[in-house]
Amino acid sequence: MPIGAGAVIGLGASILGGVFGASSAKKAAQAAAREKRRLQNKLNNLEKNRQEVVNPYEDYTSLSGMITNPFANLGVATGAAEIKIEEADISLANTLDTMRATGAGAGGATALAQAALRSKKGVAASIEQQEKANEDKAAAGEQRAQQQKIAEEQRMQQAGAMGKQFVFGETEKRQVKEMDRTYAELMGTEQDRAQAKADQTGAITGALGSIASIGGGMLG
Amino acid sequence: MEKNLNQNLFLQQFNESDAIAYNEGFTSSTSDYNFQLLENAYRNTGRIYAKLKLAVDSNNCQDETCAYELSEIKHLQESPQLSLDFLSSLLAELSVTDDPNFDPNNNFKYTAANSVMTAKPGFSKSDGYNVYLDLLPGGAQQIVFIGPAFEEPLVINNTALNSLIESNTSLVAPTPDINKDMLRLLTEVGVFSPDMVGENGELTAGAKITEEYVIMNPDGSFDYEIIDIGNGKGRNTLKYDLDKIEKKVTPFINAEVAGLMSSEQDAVAAWNVYISKGTSVEEDDQMVQNANAGDSSWSYTEDLPLMQDKKVLFEKKYKEYFMNNYLKQFTTNQFPTVQADAAVFDLAEAKKAKAQKFIDDNNL
Repeated sequence: MPIGAGAVIGLGASILGGVFGASSAKKAAQAAAREKRRLQNKLNNLEKNRQEVVNPYEDYTSLSGMITNPFANLGVATGAAEIKIEEADISLANTLDTMRATGAGAGGATALAQAALRSKKGVAASIEQQEKANEDKAAAGEQRAQQQKIAEEQRMQQAGAMGKQFVFGETEKRQVKEMDRTYAELMGTEQDRAQAKADQTGAITGALGSIASIGGGMLG
Repeated sequence: MEKNLNQNLFLQQFNESDAIAYNEGFTSSTSDYNFQLLENAYRNTGRIYAKLKLAVDSNNCQDETCAYELSEIKHLQESPQLSLDFLSSLLAELSVTDDPNFDPNNNFKYTAANSVMTAKPGFSKSDGYNVYLDLLPGGAQQIVFIGPAFEEPLVINNTALNSLIESNTSLVAPTPDINKDMLRLLTEVGVFSPDMVGENGELTAGAKITEEYVIMNPDGSFDYEIIDIGNGKGRNTLKYDLDKIEKKVTPFINAEVAGLMSSEQDAVAAWNVYISKGTSVEEDDQMVQNANAGDSSWSYTEDLPLMQDKKVLFEKKYKEYFMNNYLKQFTTNQFPTVQADAAVFDLAEAKKAKAQKFIDDNNL
């Protein structure tokens, strides 16, 4: 308190102390009120500009389009059988011509024809089995490839979702932390303001008695 | 506006300097600070109060309801409390002119009034100053300052002052403590890890920006910048992703500015004292006088409320101020965290090695 300030205001130390005490308390109360408004606006801004809640699974798409039935177009190996039948017919005809030319009997011709037919049927069956096995392998391979493709797509989508969730979570943690801190500071300023108000009232009350005495006890 | 700036700076320097102590004219004369504000204001109130009371008690009022007398008695009873409230509010407002970061663009008359109220040398009755407290009819009060620094009397009414304070504004705009705000903001912008914040809420001495913002090579090693430290020697320094840092800190700076804008007069003070010229608090401390905004100052009488373009400019410059005066020190000349990379090395050899690596990498 500067020397001489008492003389400026007039009267004794109790008034001087009261006025200056209340003045400091008022300054503190105003500073606390200003700080409260500042923090409230800051908090509002942080809340207003808080990130949108993300759906980490929004990019998930159906992978059903990738699924095809690899067995749908399995070929039936009839062609080979038909060729074999034709080959057997030609062979049989040729053998019969030879038998006729050499004077062989009717029984021999029948046996020959049956043997030739059996042989050709066996060859055709073998080719058919081979073709079927190849087609099965191709279908199984395709199925495995599709499963792996789908699994990879699922893995990528899952990773994308987890990444989004992580970024959102981390940003949210930081923003919420900042908001919590600002809110705690805000509550602190309210306490400061209340304390300053109480100090101010106390200081003025103490000084009132002295000022009343100037006017000849008009308060009494 | 320029007059406020000049007069305030003169009064500030006059009060801060000891010039008057070496003025023999001053030291040899009596300095009378006995303004006796309250004594003068209340000297006759006892008699007036008694007259009014007597009129009421003896049914000798101006009219039969005694409305006037009763009203005046009530005002007189309330006036001591009002006077103390008024003086304490006024002193609280005027004391802002004593703050070290006071904006000299405020009305200079308040600086002079504070000098009178706090009995500063050169502002006594003997120097031509006086101050009166008037109890006005109807219960209001006013304080009147006269003297050489005022040109015309400065009159402040208690009801006007109260309404200003009630509406969360002030007679004299206080300047926010930008240094404190920015040191706190550094810890809030999310580029330092929480363990780098000390118990005092500020960054610790060895605080570093997290590696998330350091530029790396594709192989995961640090992409260093080599600096010449003289005598043919060099050192590695970390390179930072400044765009990423800026993106990160911007929302927090914007929130800080929004908070500051809750009291636009405070924002004007911050603009005039710190932000406009962009000089740091340390730089201001090193100067004889702060680099106040001068011709780029904003006026309390003409620029409030702030127009949108000024708010946008404030936000832009506030961000620049933070980046240049506070954050930049953490993105420049930061030595490697990897011990082996932090050593001093021969610059010529390093340049040769770098050239060789370029040749090897590009099969030249």
